[in-house]
This record gives sequence, structure tokens and C-alpha cells, in this order.
Amino acid sequence: MLGDIGTLVLQGAMISAIYALIAIGFTMIFGVGGILNLAHGALIMAGAYIFGILVRETTVSWIALHPAIAFPVTVVAVAVLSWGLYQVLVRWVEDNVVITFLATVVVAVASTELVIYLFGDTPMGMTLISGALNLEPFGINARPRYVQFAGFVVSWIAIGLLWFYITKTDDGRSILAASMSERGAQLTGVDLHSVRAKTWLIAGALAGIAGIFLGSTGSATPLMWLNPLALAFIIVVIGGIGSIKGSVVAAYFIGFLEQFTVTFVGQGFRGILSLVVLAIFLLYLPQGLYGREFVHD
Amino acid sequence: MANEDNNNRDPGKDGNGAVGRRTFLGAAGAGAVATTFAGCLGGEDEALTIGHLAPMDNPLGVGSDRTAQMAVDEINENGGFDGEEAELLTRDTRTEPSEAQDVTEELIQQENVDLLVGTFNSETTQSILDLTAEFDVPFMITGSADPGLITDFVGDDYEEFKNVFRIGPINSDFQSESIADYCEYLSELHGWDEVAFLRDNAAWTEPFGEHVPDLLAERDIDIVLEDALSIEIDDLAPVLSDVNESGADYILRFFAHINAGEMLGIWHEAEYEFGIEGIHVAGMLPVYHAATEGAASYETTSQSGAAGVSPITDRTQPFVQDYAERYEGEDEPPTQAPMYMGFNTYDGISIFGEVVDAIGTTNTRDNLDEFVDEMLEIDFTGVAGQISFYGEDSDYPHDVEEERGDDGTITNFPMTQWTPEGDIECVYPEQHQTAEHQMPHWMQ
Repeated sequence: MLGDIGTLVLQGAMISAIYALIAIGFTMIFGVGGILNLAHGALIMAGAYIFGILVRETTVSWIALHPAIAFPVTVVAVAVLSWGLYQVLVRWVEDNVVITFLATVVVAVASTELVIYLFGDTPMGMTLISGALNLEPFGINARPRYVQFAGFVVSWIAIGLLWFYITKTDDGRSILAASMSERGAQLTGVDLHSVRAKTWLIAGALAGIAGIFLGSTGSATPLMWLNPLALAFIIVVIGGIGSIKGSVVAAYFIGFLEQFTVTFVGQGFRGILSLVVLAIFLLYLPQGLYGREFVHD
Repeated sequence: MANEDNNNRDPGKDGNGAVGRRTFLGAAGAGAVATTFAGCLGGEDEALTIGHLAPMDNPLGVGSDRTAQMAVDEINENGGFDGEEAELLTRDTRTEPSEAQDVTEELIQQENVDLLVGTFNSETTQSILDLTAEFDVPFMITGSADPGLITDFVGDDYEEFKNVFRIGPINSDFQSESIADYCEYLSELHGWDEVAFLRDNAAWTEPFGEHVPDLLAERDIDIVLEDALSIEIDDLAPVLSDVNESGADYILRFFAHINAGEMLGIWHEAEYEFGIEGIHVAGMLPVYHAATEGAASYETTSQSGAAGVSPITDRTQPFVQDYAERYEGEDEPPTQAPMYMGFNTYDGISIFGEVVDAIGTTNTRDNLDEFVDEMLEIDFTGVAGQISFYGEDSDYPHDVEEERGDDGTITNFPMTQWTPEGDIECVYPEQHQTAEHQMPHWMQ
């Protein structure tokens, strides 16, 4: 029993850290621009595939970077992709919610086609850090991999940096302001367009990090964007749409809930409890845990 | 409608996922064109046409299409099918019964095919059995192993469904027996006698769920953990922890839907002290070792044809070499060897060639009885093994017969293992063995 709880805490913490990365970018984009970015999952997938191409010797033989170099390159690349997606497509249609919604769906579906065209649908494996820690001598029945620990640490570093940026710098505070009230932000001289572009850049970077960890704990596949996108939805609704703090809290809530189900109920029930919780929130607390940070004009 | 395929999340394992928009539009377009011209074209009765059905977004289907073309080309060049040249028409069934029915109907009614060959997942195969029976079109199953496809149709109403034959693989009842024999081999070789029995929670693994526990018990092998895993599972770490806790010597798993890449990655990095054995469809892909960056090392899977690494018959290896020479320049996998369905499809068309030569006509639909009689006479040396079929009065009429060695164990369901170097070795049965089964290096 104690061992089970140890496993639960450990695995839950590590999975939740990745969930937080997945959800924060999604919630930021919604909070600032009111845009439901369904291509968010595609950006996560881009992170996995770009990292895979960079570190694997077999995909493109003349590029085989050390993971420590490939990691920042991938994060920057996905951030730029995300920024580009905003500049090239979304900014022209963002005033129309339905068109934006459709446009980002199209991007997501097209990304699957592109990946199948380029790499086929064979799962692509990749290594960030190899090895695992055997915790059985400590009474915990788990052998977590170093890459999971790395995911946990990197997630919190990213969240810390983001928090610092948003609350302590003028630049960052303009994002927070825009997410609270666009009109208020504009009245204080905030350039909304540039704030939104920055949000996409940051969301892209976080998606890139999440993609790298998803790819190196599992593998990259053409439909790997679906689950993260569904998770992002659940987490964001529970945390409160637009709230970064809410996303982090909800990511841990969902991560632990899933792990709890797996440990004590059974593997097959993994996702069901989260959906039940989602339904409860939608019915009784639709603004989510920290929904007040997001105020409509 | 066009959005349906987005619901699938398991690309590459059974062809269920990643159904492309291109594929959909292509198929829809073909369907539309076919319907438009249905009235005016009629069929050309003269030419011999062979219809091939497979999920073409899946390497299994691609390999099967290529071997079908090889067989047709070879026979055309060597005097033809009873003197006639055949044309191969491949249609993409995806893994959807409704799609399979549409394209089968087109092949039968517009193209007047004289043979249908292929189909991968059991649901798809089952969906077209009625249609082929109604029009008396010989149908050779080359990708599905569900025993029910034979017992519930040919077995149940022989007159109606006598057009249906299975070329391979051997059905899952025999596969269960063969896997149990393999477990006995592992027990003798490594002293492994405690098993964690895991399978996809899907129709195709049900015969295994039904038979394997009893068959293992007969062989004094204990199942210490048993689970049918959700095919949507995306975190296999807790499963591996459970297996580890159970003290199993190896996981015996039956995965076609589940992407076991993550499981293999964790297994290697954590150096869990158990083996991973059984059937893993993704692991049959010739590039799988490279795709997983070596994490596939030491895992095994059984597959008809043993990936062409063992001279199962005299024809196996020349066939695989020929395949590799033809397709090594292609982008789309599999390029080194077809996957199991390709072996069976090749054998199916080759057998068809022999049978029409013997009955002296390629008009099989009007001469079905002669065709069936001749099929039942056949004892054919194929690339996947020696092929003959069960007769009307057996438990599995028109199913491919299992081959048995001198000790009575089944030999035509070979087991292959990935080596750390990325090679495939056939480790079971002894008759076809190219190397002994290896434990993972951290257990040796």
C-alpha cells in the first residue's frame, strides 16, 4: 500500500509536469486572443518530430545532433512555427471565432497528412536521456526513467521563467493585462497585436518542450496531437479558461487523478474519471477553479 | 463523414489509424466514378482480372499489393493463367467494413474479377464474405486469422460459402497452440515458466484469451498476471511495474493496436528482468528496429514467412531477394521484405495459377465446383510454407492446414526475434531456426 502511494506520487508528479506544459500554452492563447487554437496539438507533434529528426542518425543521416543541442534548437523552431502560424494565418481571421476554429482544425489535420507523407505512420522513437532509476530497494515498485525526471525539472523551470516574465517584467505584464481586459490594456498603451504574437511564440516554445518529452518517453506518431489536445481542453476547463495558475493546478489534479485510477482501479479506467470530473465542472463550475482571472470586456 | 477517421489514434499498428484524407478522397472519387459509369460500361468478360483488397495506408497492405503484382507478373511471363494474361486490380479497403464492401462490389460487378485475394483485419474480411458468396467469386483470405471467418461461414453453410479459402496465416486456434509450444521451448531453454499474459482488448485476441491459459496450464507454465489492455492505452509504465511485481519471467503479449514502442523503451532503459514475447504486429515491420532506435532488440513476434530470414521452403529466400531487388528503391515501406500478408497473397495467386491451369478455364465464377475440387487437391510449396486445405467435413473447412513436425508441434507459425544489431533471426520452431532465442543482455 505504501509502495503504491509512493509510485502514485512519483508517476503522478512526472506525468502532471508534462500535462502542465501542454495546457499552459493552450490557455494563454485562449486567454489573450480568445482563440481556440486546435493546432496546439500539431505544434506539440512538431516538437517531437523536429527533435526526432535532429537527434536520430537514421532519419536524416547528416544531422545527428547531441540531444543537449537539439533540445533548444527544437524549442526555438517550434516557437517560430507557432509565431508563424499566427502571423501567416490566424491574425487575418482571428476576429471570426468560427473561421479561426476551422482554420486551426485544418492545420491540425494537414499536419497529420504532412507527417504521413514525410515519415509514414511508423512510430518514430528518440532518445533525450537514457537510463532509469530502480526504486525497488526503497519499497517503490517503479523504475522511472531519467527522461521523466528531466521532464519534471524542465517543466518547473519553464513555469518559473514564465511566471517571472509575466509578473515581473513590463513586457510580460502586458500579456497579463491583455488577458484580463483587452480594452483596458489598449488604453494603457499595450500593442495588442504584438502581445498576441508574443503569446503564440511562448505557447509554441512550451508546446515544443512538451513534444520533445512526449516523443522521448513514447514515440512520435502522426496522430499524437489528438490526446494532448483533448487533455489541454479538460485541464483548461477545470483550471479556468485563460488562467495559467489554473492550468498548472488542474494539470496536476488530472495527472494525479489518472495515476490514482491506474494504481487503484485499473488501467482501462484511466481517462474515464477525468471525463467525469470535466462533466461536473461544466455543469457546476463552468468558470473553472481560477476562472476569475479572465474577465470579458 | 470525412471527419470520421480522426477518431483513430493508433497509426501503423493495424492500419486502423491515420486514414488519410487523400485516401478517403481517392476512394470516394473512385466510388463516384464507378457508380457513374456503372450503367454504360458493363464488364469485359474476356480479360482475366484479379482483385486485391488491402488497407493501403498500412505497410502490410503495401507489401501485399507488391507481392500480388510480382505473382501476376511472373505467371503472365511464364505462359499465363491457363494461357491468359491477368490484370491485377488493387482496391484500398482501409480497415473499414463499409469501405471494403463498396470496393468489393465494384470489383465483382464492374470489373468482373475472377479471384479476390487479400483483406487484413477480421471485421473487414467478414463484411465481404456474403458478397463474394452471392456472386460465386473465389475469395482467398491472406491477412486475417480469426477462426470464425471459416467456422461461422464455410463451416456453417458449406454450399453457400464454398468459394472462401484461407491461404494463411493459420487460424488463431492453431496459433494459440503454436505459441504455447513456443512457451514450452522457452521453458526448456531458459527455465522460464511464469508468464504475464497481456493482450489488446480487441476481437482478434479473443481466441488467445480463450485458449492460451489452458494450453499453458497443460504445459506446467503458470500465468502470474493476465490483462486485456485498452487499445487506447498511452502509458505503459504502470503495466511494466505490475509485471515486475508479479515476478513473471516474460511478458507474453498480443499487440496489434497498442503501440508497444514505449513499452520497449522503458524495458530497455529500466533493464527489467523479463523477456517480451508473443505477437506484435508493429514489430514485424522491417524498419521497426531502426524506428525504435534499437529498443525493439530482443522482442519477439511470430509471423508467417518468418520475415524471409529462414529457408522455410526452397522458394522463401529467392522470393524475398526478388522482392528486395524490385522495391529497395521505393520510399514507402516495406522495402526489404513484404510483411506476413505479402507472403500469403503471393502464395494465393500462385495457387490460383496452378488451379486454373488444372481445370482448364479461368472462368472460375461459372465453374466454381471444379475450382473448389481442385483447390482441395492442392499440395503446394509456397513461400510461406507447404499449403493444403481442410476439406468439407473437417472442423475448419477450406482453412489452410497447419504443418506439424515429427514431434507433432506446429511448424508453420515461426517466431522471429530482433537482435541488438538490428537483424531478424528465426528462433522457433527448430526446423526453421536461424539462431537460438536470446535473453536480453542484462539478464544473461
